[in-house]
Amino acid sequence: MEISRDAYRAIEDIVGPEFITDDPAFLDSYAFEWLAELVRPNRSHYMPRPWAVVMPASTAEVQGVTRVCNKYGIKIKPISTGWYHWAAPMKDNDPTIQLDLRRMNRILDIDEKNRFAIVEPYVICAQLQAEVMKLGLNINIIGAGSSTSIVASACAYFGGGPNSYSMGNNSDNLLGQEWVTPAGEIIRTGSLSSGCGWFCSEGPGPSVRGITRGVLGSRGGLGTYTKCAIKLNHWPGQKVLEPKGPPPGYRLEIPENFRVYTIGAPDWDAWVNCYHAIYDNGIGYVFHRQFNLAGADLAAALWLTYIDPKKTLNDVETASKDPAIQKVAEEGRISFQLILAGNSMESIKLQDKVLDAILAQTGCYKVARFCEPDMAEFTNMYMQRLGHKHCNFIWVGGYMGSWMQAGTPDYVRNYIPTAIKGFERDQKSHLLVECGGDATMGCGSTIGGGGYFGLEQFVSYDPNDNDSIDACIKHMEDAIKDAISVGVPAGKEALYLQIGWSDERIWDALSKIPQQFILNFQTKIKDAFDPNYLGDRNYQWIPPGWGQKADAK
Amino acid sequence: MGMNSKKEELMGIVGQGNVSDDPACLNGYAQDQSFALPIKPWFVARPQTAEQVQELVKWANATATPLVPVSSGAPHFNGDTVPSATEAVIVDLSGMNKILKIDHRNKIVIVEPGVTYAELQPALEKAGLRITQPLLPRANKSVIASLLERQPTMIPRLNYSLPEPLRVCGVVWGSGEYSFTGEGGMGPRSLEDQWKIGLAQVNQQGPLATDLVRLVTGAQGTMGIVVWASIKCELLPAARKCFVVKAAQLEELVDFCYRLERLRIGDEVMILNRRQLRAVIGKTNGCGCGCGGADWTVVIGLAGRALYPQEKVDVQEHELQALVKEFGLQALDAPPEVAASLLAVSGETYWKVASKGACQEIFFLTTLDKAPRFVKTVEQVAARFEYPASDIGIYIQPQHHGVSQHVEFSLPYNPADKREVEKVKAIYTAASEELVAQGAYFSRPYGAWADLVYSRDATSSRVLRTVKQIVDPNQILNPGKLCF
Amino acid sequence: MALETYRADAMRCSRCAYCKWVPLDLMKSWRFSKGCPSIEFGHFHSYSAGGRLVTALSLMDGRSEVTEKVKDSVFKCNLCGSCDVTCKMCRYDMEPLEAMKELRFHLVEQGHTLPQVEPVIDGLRRELNMLGKPRAERGDWAAKLNVKNLVKEQAEFVFHAGCRYSFDGDLGDAARTSVRILQQAGVDFGIMGEAENCCGGRAYGMGYKAEFETRRDSTLIAWQRAGVKTVITPCSDCYHTFKRLYPPASGCDIKVVHMVEFLDQLLGEGKLKFTKPVPMTVTYHDPCHLGRQGEEYVAWNGKEKKIFGQAVCYDPPRPRYNGAFGIYDPPRRVLQAIPGLKLVEMERNREAAWCCGAGGGAREAYPEFSNWTASERIEEACSTGAEAIVSACPWCERNFLDATAGGKRKLAVYDVMQLVEKAL
Repeated sequence: MEISRDAYRAIEDIVGPEFITDDPAFLDSYAFEWLAELVRPNRSHYMPRPWAVVMPASTAEVQGVTRVCNKYGIKIKPISTGWYHWAAPMKDNDPTIQLDLRRMNRILDIDEKNRFAIVEPYVICAQLQAEVMKLGLNINIIGAGSSTSIVASACAYFGGGPNSYSMGNNSDNLLGQEWVTPAGEIIRTGSLSSGCGWFCSEGPGPSVRGITRGVLGSRGGLGTYTKCAIKLNHWPGQKVLEPKGPPPGYRLEIPENFRVYTIGAPDWDAWVNCYHAIYDNGIGYVFHRQFNLAGADLAAALWLTYIDPKKTLNDVETASKDPAIQKVAEEGRISFQLILAGNSMESIKLQDKVLDAILAQTGCYKVARFCEPDMAEFTNMYMQRLGHKHCNFIWVGGYMGSWMQAGTPDYVRNYIPTAIKGFERDQKSHLLVECGGDATMGCGSTIGGGGYFGLEQFVSYDPNDNDSIDACIKHMEDAIKDAISVGVPAGKEALYLQIGWSDERIWDALSKIPQQFILNFQTKIKDAFDPNYLGDRNYQWIPPGWGQKADAK
Repeated sequence: MGMNSKKEELMGIVGQGNVSDDPACLNGYAQDQSFALPIKPWFVARPQTAEQVQELVKWANATATPLVPVSSGAPHFNGDTVPSATEAVIVDLSGMNKILKIDHRNKIVIVEPGVTYAELQPALEKAGLRITQPLLPRANKSVIASLLERQPTMIPRLNYSLPEPLRVCGVVWGSGEYSFTGEGGMGPRSLEDQWKIGLAQVNQQGPLATDLVRLVTGAQGTMGIVVWASIKCELLPAARKCFVVKAAQLEELVDFCYRLERLRIGDEVMILNRRQLRAVIGKTNGCGCGCGGADWTVVIGLAGRALYPQEKVDVQEHELQALVKEFGLQALDAPPEVAASLLAVSGETYWKVASKGACQEIFFLTTLDKAPRFVKTVEQVAARFEYPASDIGIYIQPQHHGVSQHVEFSLPYNPADKREVEKVKAIYTAASEELVAQGAYFSRPYGAWADLVYSRDATSSRVLRTVKQIVDPNQILNPGKLCF
Repeated sequence: MALETYRADAMRCSRCAYCKWVPLDLMKSWRFSKGCPSIEFGHFHSYSAGGRLVTALSLMDGRSEVTEKVKDSVFKCNLCGSCDVTCKMCRYDMEPLEAMKELRFHLVEQGHTLPQVEPVIDGLRRELNMLGKPRAERGDWAAKLNVKNLVKEQAEFVFHAGCRYSFDGDLGDAARTSVRILQQAGVDFGIMGEAENCCGGRAYGMGYKAEFETRRDSTLIAWQRAGVKTVITPCSDCYHTFKRLYPPASGCDIKVVHMVEFLDQLLGEGKLKFTKPVPMTVTYHDPCHLGRQGEEYVAWNGKEKKIFGQAVCYDPPRPRYNGAFGIYDPPRRVLQAIPGLKLVEMERNREAAWCCGAGGGAREAYPEFSNWTASERIEEACSTGAEAIVSACPWCERNFLDATAGGKRKLAVYDVMQLVEKAL
């Protein structure tokens, strides 16, 4: 499908001819997305093609392009770093332009004293972290890693990561923001709105940011975020990270005021108690269950292989049969990574002492092999920068996360056995990577201070093998049934699957949410800020009257 | 509909004994300590349940009756509980005063809007918990109202966002719809049912792409009526120690405070000028506040919880001492009254009005580097009106891990002295205008500030009116406030 | 190898876009955080490794056709391999650099060539060098050196100057200095002189596989006739070609040594000492072909196998080229051995080095892009406070000289051999 020449020309007049294209191969490079094969007909790796890709360089250009789209009825899908199937256009035959924001890539300011940075959408976490660390500051890098856009996670997506426990979710770290609505209006929020600077996200009066920045954000479905300010936090480590060693297992020296541990638990109850005790004692800088993404059966074999640059996955197979490594696997079966950081030596020693007491109280322990210098330094590098997050794909290039329903530690603990059992069952087909039933991982807390998170089951499948793709889809459907069977709502797999659903099927599902208020609210917000319906269904809404139950009695 | 019919219908909703049109009672709501135009409501209705609140709102929609929600006891200060429209009904929520649940494991307490700080803190203490609170809140101050107003709390390291520690709310919107905010918004609309399936109302974000709680905070009751809220608690400290750091000039403390807040040393952190420090500890004359004659004091409360509490305090003390040395300052043991004020609620006479009987406040948000300039501005305006600078109480409260600062000026005056009243009113007006012009962020635009703020911010006004139209289409909730 | 060989790579690309950056762990600033010159210049996703994998897939599946834009996106790339290193941070089953080369072969085979490259290839066919210079002049650089001509004589070692050193007079005496050092070390070596061939590596990068094979076969035959067992070269382009591209040809068991490796060995054995101080602060630029692409070739002829149900590995294990074992330390040790010389590092070094811009035919086909890439490196070098940027490849040096020619940036450009010469 082609965009009308008039619309093309009008957009070209704004961004310049070199920053718009409708070359089919170029469009395909945007349509090709992770997870597409799980939701598209014939297991296609392509989401619907955008009709053109446009690269604005400024807020004014975004606004100009948006106005053209309103005039011509073209849908707009902005991306920053552009990952996930929902980053692409949603529907075939729906005229959509992909707004690739990679030219908006500046760090506009770092206010060291007041601890915030102002960034454009294509600034990634690693870039900002590198800059602010020079000032002894740090950012919360989201679970998806440091190649992700800060604006995206702060303004439009989930925002939780290994540091959220100590630094807050990026939703909370969001200060002023600039938003171009689908109607083409520029809205600035918080103190920025009053012309007082970027330092505050709330008010004046009720907070306008509340209409778009919820638990998951609008994910490109309701306009374009063009700038935001993000809160920075103290960093008591190196000013410049100087990793050691050859790739891929770079190691980062552990300063004397840091401790890097992998903590193991004898059972899930001990694990939960340990989590609570860590929150209650307020220790910890980074708190995450990371290495289990490889699966509890194989995690030890994989990571001990990974840190040896001469080895490959063939060696993992050998390692997995080594009794010594099998012992490590058992020790780390229920484990997580914890990095302590102290502002003083006295502080770090006390944190260590507190941790030891917690471990003694709860029966948890340090996984010795993972706390040896090589693995500890690798863990330090991995967790501080989150630059290896795409090890998610290490087995075969296909990964899909199921479960991840968020709640208190007890809530998570209650669904974990079902998640494990279900994954064990689904691996028996041999069409998924057989890594043990527990490949769950996730943040220590997705909110500041702790107490709330979810664990995501890392399901690896081969995207180059239709049978494996089908097995993954089946696992997703199974996981939904498993969750329902234990009274838990469907998890992340449902969110992924919905991308392939028809509008009607989505509306049917949405109409079953017990409290319909939020859908009615978002529908009216959409009407107000996207009157021509140029955003997509990543911002959820429901046609008035669609299968609604009487919610507001 | 006439007054009598309205009264009958109101009694039908909340019960006969819970509706009042007693003039004395109504007069109590007709004005407050602010300079808001007094308007007498027609009735005061005191619902006892969320269902009654919902019925009231539906009734108000049907009868086009303005509702003004009020949860705290008097005195009120900012004009937000004074009706801006005639024929209003005050929805007095003080009777909804149950603590619905104390969840020690998840550090959450769920309360109704009538629960006050004086009631909540002792109940939490019994469970080994506490919540972060504003500086010496009125004993009858509703905890929910305080949080909805985004009153600053004293522990910046726990303030992951300005609404903290407020988490999940049950809201009766102006439309009459009832829903939960945050993580509560996706589950069944019953707390009991949510508890049964393991939900604990911990996460403030959501539901979906919306942060509903952010639409009721700072709203002055214009969007919805909160009928319960979950609040994050902390373990009760088992060890404490309080310090003061003093300086002659505010500027001398700025860099130290930046560092202190950044390192998150201590729990409570605030800056008070001499007048305000004295007021906090109830000294209206002479000194004796531990300020040592210094004009400015940073109050720092250290606390230790859970394992090794005393050692946690000791480590913080050593870090604090190292820090003050770095900045050429001294950290001294705080006088016991100062330390006690961090844990207390105000005495019967609210501390801010204790000296003269009334007090006009001017407060806004800014960053710490700009605070000295704003202090100068207010002092200069006060001087223009011959109001002594030494009478101005100044309180600077870091928030959001110290990224923003609540700066508050208290101008005590004698309400019986008309000249003094006029003088303070003039200072309030002139200073507010100058502060706004200089970039002070009036994030909670009460009374006359609303016009000052929204007249400069057409976009926010329009967006908020759009939201208001959705959640309160008939404009029955506290009409006339903010930009509505 | 057909493009189809890389279908699995394309299908398994997670579109993570790591290929656009330096390894994230190594990022030290916003300014020098990018790894891929192509995407920085071309902007659209198609200018990244991930994008090109999709282009390949799209073309194979008939979803799109080769247009001028597609050609631009395929060829406007230095093939520097930065993407390959970063991709393999998290993957063992991807070969994006090889796939991108194969895509070029595919286009060239189908006649989708670049008109601006055709004269260069014609020059190669005609004059056997990449500069289009008369082949008869190729040995002139060694005219006054008393060195064996292996067309007539035999030796175990051949010194291969390469096209650029043979013809580019601006690059100083790197080749001649090399010869002197080899002579002083008592190595039994010679040169091919006028008969030296282009190694063919640059034609390979431009997508002209047949031309490469012709050059390779011709060179190998000449060496075989001369009894050559080891080739020594100061050119990293040639080094990579000999080391990594020649071995798959049957019967090729030539040992390949870069001059910096040879110098490093002499220094290590105490057979070479620098006597003159060179008081200068310099920064070393890792040539892509010596650094991350300079790893040892390992013969492999295997197939994919699955373990743990679906995880991909190879039978036998497939060699892993991810820049871990490139030639990084020898040139640094040589420079650090020079009295008075201070070596400072750029942020992007070793496997994360930013390209000079000359590779992959970019210098010939897209001078503006090539020059911009070099300018970016010059900026990075200047940020270290160095007075000079030193490399071990004449193509890098030529590009840096061109990028600094306008005088915007005062930065001297040297080959390691030039500094060695000063120190001897």
